[in-house]
Amino acid sequence: MTHSHTRRVFLQRGLALVSAGLTVPTFIDSTVWAMADPLDVKLTQQESGTDGKILVVVQLSGGNDGLNTVIPYGDDAYYRARPGLAKRAEEVLKLNSYVGLHPNLAPLKELYDDGMLSIIQGVGYPNPNRSHFRSMDIWHTAIPDKEVTTSGWLGRYFDNTCSGEDPHAGIAIGDTAPLAMKGERVLPLNFERPENYRYKGQDQERYLKLNGGTVGQETTVEPSGTGGGSGQTKTKGVRIITPDNQLEFLTRTAMDAQLSSDRITQLVNNYNTRSSYPRGSYGEGLRTVAAMIRGGLPTRVYYVSLGGFDTHANQGGRHDNLMQQFAQGVSAFWNDMKEQKNHQRVLMMCFSEFGRRVQQNASQGTDHGAAAPMFLFGPAIEKRAGLVGNHPSLTRLDQGDLIHNIDFRNVYATILQDWLNTPSKPILGQQFKTIPIFKS
Amino acid sequence: MARLHPQLEPFVESSSDPWDRVKAAHLLNRAGFGGTEQEINRVLEAGPQAAVDELLDFPDGPSDLISATDQPDLSHIEGYPRTFAERRKLFEGKTAEERMLLNQRMNQANQQALRAIANWWVQRMAYGPYPFHEKLTLFWHGHFTTSARDERSAWLMWQQNETWRAHAAGNFGRFVKAVSRDPAMLDYLNNQQNRKARPNENYARELMELFTLGIGNYTENDIKEAARAFTGWAHDGEAFIFRKFDHDDGEKTFFGVRGNFDGDDIIDLILRHKACGPYIASRFWNFFVNEQYDPAVIASLGEVLRENDYELRPMIRTLLTSKAFYNRQNIGSQIKSPIQLVVGTVRLLGVKMPEVNRLNGALNQMGQVPLMPPTVKGWPGGKMWINTSTMFVRYNTVLWLAGGEPVTSGRRVIDAINRRNRSSGIQVEVDGSTEQIVDRWVERLIQRPISEQKRAILIEAIGSEPNESSVRNMVSLILSMPEYQLC
Repeated sequence: MTHSHTRRVFLQRGLALVSAGLTVPTFIDSTVWAMADPLDVKLTQQESGTDGKILVVVQLSGGNDGLNTVIPYGDDAYYRARPGLAKRAEEVLKLNSYVGLHPNLAPLKELYDDGMLSIIQGVGYPNPNRSHFRSMDIWHTAIPDKEVTTSGWLGRYFDNTCSGEDPHAGIAIGDTAPLAMKGERVLPLNFERPENYRYKGQDQERYLKLNGGTVGQETTVEPSGTGGGSGQTKTKGVRIITPDNQLEFLTRTAMDAQLSSDRITQLVNNYNTRSSYPRGSYGEGLRTVAAMIRGGLPTRVYYVSLGGFDTHANQGGRHDNLMQQFAQGVSAFWNDMKEQKNHQRVLMMCFSEFGRRVQQNASQGTDHGAAAPMFLFGPAIEKRAGLVGNHPSLTRLDQGDLIHNIDFRNVYATILQDWLNTPSKPILGQQFKTIPIFKS
Repeated sequence: MARLHPQLEPFVESSSDPWDRVKAAHLLNRAGFGGTEQEINRVLEAGPQAAVDELLDFPDGPSDLISATDQPDLSHIEGYPRTFAERRKLFEGKTAEERMLLNQRMNQANQQALRAIANWWVQRMAYGPYPFHEKLTLFWHGHFTTSARDERSAWLMWQQNETWRAHAAGNFGRFVKAVSRDPAMLDYLNNQQNRKARPNENYARELMELFTLGIGNYTENDIKEAARAFTGWAHDGEAFIFRKFDHDDGEKTFFGVRGNFDGDDIIDLILRHKACGPYIASRFWNFFVNEQYDPAVIASLGEVLRENDYELRPMIRTLLTSKAFYNRQNIGSQIKSPIQLVVGTVRLLGVKMPEVNRLNGALNQMGQVPLMPPTVKGWPGGKMWINTSTMFVRYNTVLWLAGGEPVTSGRRVIDAINRRNRSSGIQVEVDGSTEQIVDRWVERLIQRPISEQKRAILIEAIGSEPNESSVRNMVSLILSMPEYQLC
């Protein structure tokens, strides 16, 4: 990638780059090619210095009822605890003589039979917290015993492995960036819909000129790699922030945002797929992720959420629908990945902040609980790792809740080391044992 | 009296560095949420000393001291018991299901009341009589942090907001003592669980690390001993109580001094620590002047605080009238916080402040929801407000506000605006040449000179024959300049 090419692209896009001290957006050199010619999109991602693996996180928000997801249908205690909510043994999609999947998870059963799904049973952490916020924070930060943590486990992964100049390291679908993806240095990109990730004023052309760099004398922006937009100068040994370098920083970020927005919008709008995703933000989010993977963004982690799992009352029908939506999305996404021939590069991880109480409550619902299953999807999964760990006992409980067998940080360590090929200790603060889940 | 650092000496105007509109606007931006043309004129006339005195001239008390009617709507939580004892009584004899329903209703009522408080507060920042008082309250809210994510009681969050307001420019020592008795704070930092038999060090640690001294100025043992002194400081759901039997009244050693200390004694010892004045001075500097500082200036400013027995007004006055404050490098060098951006836009454009319910999504995406700081460290601020996602949200939110309904009722502080045309959005008048129109709007919104090249783009946007729609477009372009993100 040469600067003259960069400049040509800018001019094509209507950005007024006139001076010789050309403003180079921080990530343009490595990624602008895809935007310049949308038809020339490679099937696989261009990676700089790392392998091209992708992690897609699916968060089930509100506390998914693990017991009615991976169902211990062979246990009388399940039927005793759930007189109004239990699934009959004959409808459960059996995995062995003890557990089976919720009847609406047929697509997951298929993936399981194909060796594409690993179900990790009884995942949790010590002294489980039953507040949504706090428990979600614990899963996101991976630091259960410290109140103040401003970074998440994936954010620290970015901090340790990315330069921080490309805004696409992590992309979350949603109005707010999940704490899990926030690093001390690297922040994720997030948007609910790609069409909201753009400037909505009318005069786009002049907006670009006013934010595009070299129109003002103050905008001699240093090229990338000079400190990630610190915007600081040294004056008499004291670092002082000035209006000029603050403007540079803002201008650079605005330009990054514009290029990134153009590119993502184009990728998503031009995306054709035969997969049918479920309606709603979860299904659309997965479709958007598939479009971005197809478009070759250098993104390593995508994040999608499905909400509504806080089923305190009349859980039955609601949870059935959620299971169906969840499974449809997963199934559509994996069909899409196979069609794109990108499936080998992708691992999907599903979790919820906690499971629910074993005993149903008086309102045909369930209250906040503790341990629950996690799902990992992908062709990299070892067939024998279909069902990992033992199902927690339904009778030996802690305050009415399942006791975890596997700490979620063992799963994170496994993903970091065996999938993302990065040491997990600097990210998780201590060395957690990995679980043999992946093909060697 | 120690000698004041030269940078903190009062700003005196000269022919090369006059007291001008840019400086007057700077004062109103930092010591408030942005000034209208008339407000800038008044500050310009008064000069920095008198203007700062006037800005600081608000009653040291909660909001009902100022107005009994300008209060948040707490009707949602009326009728629900506040104290734990009353709540227990209410739940007595109820079935599990009834309790759950009652709990749900109470949670909902608290959520509604919390939104009402946030809404009231943001409206007050925009239209209230003392914007600087509210700016200081916001500063302290980020300093002595409590989040409604953890403290679910709207009543306690409201009490805290009022306590912070009452002490915002008062005496820092008395303020810290009030903070240490604040029920929401006792909850947030677990002093409610700090008992003689099982001390909890959370409050003692943050009291020193974040609230008064900064890291590195105390030992782990000082934390342990301070925690003992605060045992038994608790609340009953409504107000502070001292639980005598949970209090450890044994001898403690703190900062090398031995004594039978309680929490107030610990605070007095902290105030005597040489790091306390400079630490608080640095927090003020970071929030009101610049993200970065010269330690020599901070040491001197901290000395002002100490010499005045921790009265905050003299230090604030020194800071806001100083040469340093009006240094060219400090004007327009601050990235507006999301609240500053929203409230400032409403004030500068003279448009109506939307209900917080309609703003919450945008504030959340920009990273600053009032009453919900992300961690005990408050909002990180500065460059942390900005990334490729928030950039668009910030631009689009401002444009959305500009397209909103104009203010329809007269308010004291806000300038009168042309309200004849109620269609939507800002009022624009097409009089004078294109250049004059552009310059007027740049002065009103950005309040500092902009580059000739950018000015030319704005002039070209209007064209030679200005009309309402082209002027409106030009205004939206000013609002979409990176310069507008700074104050």
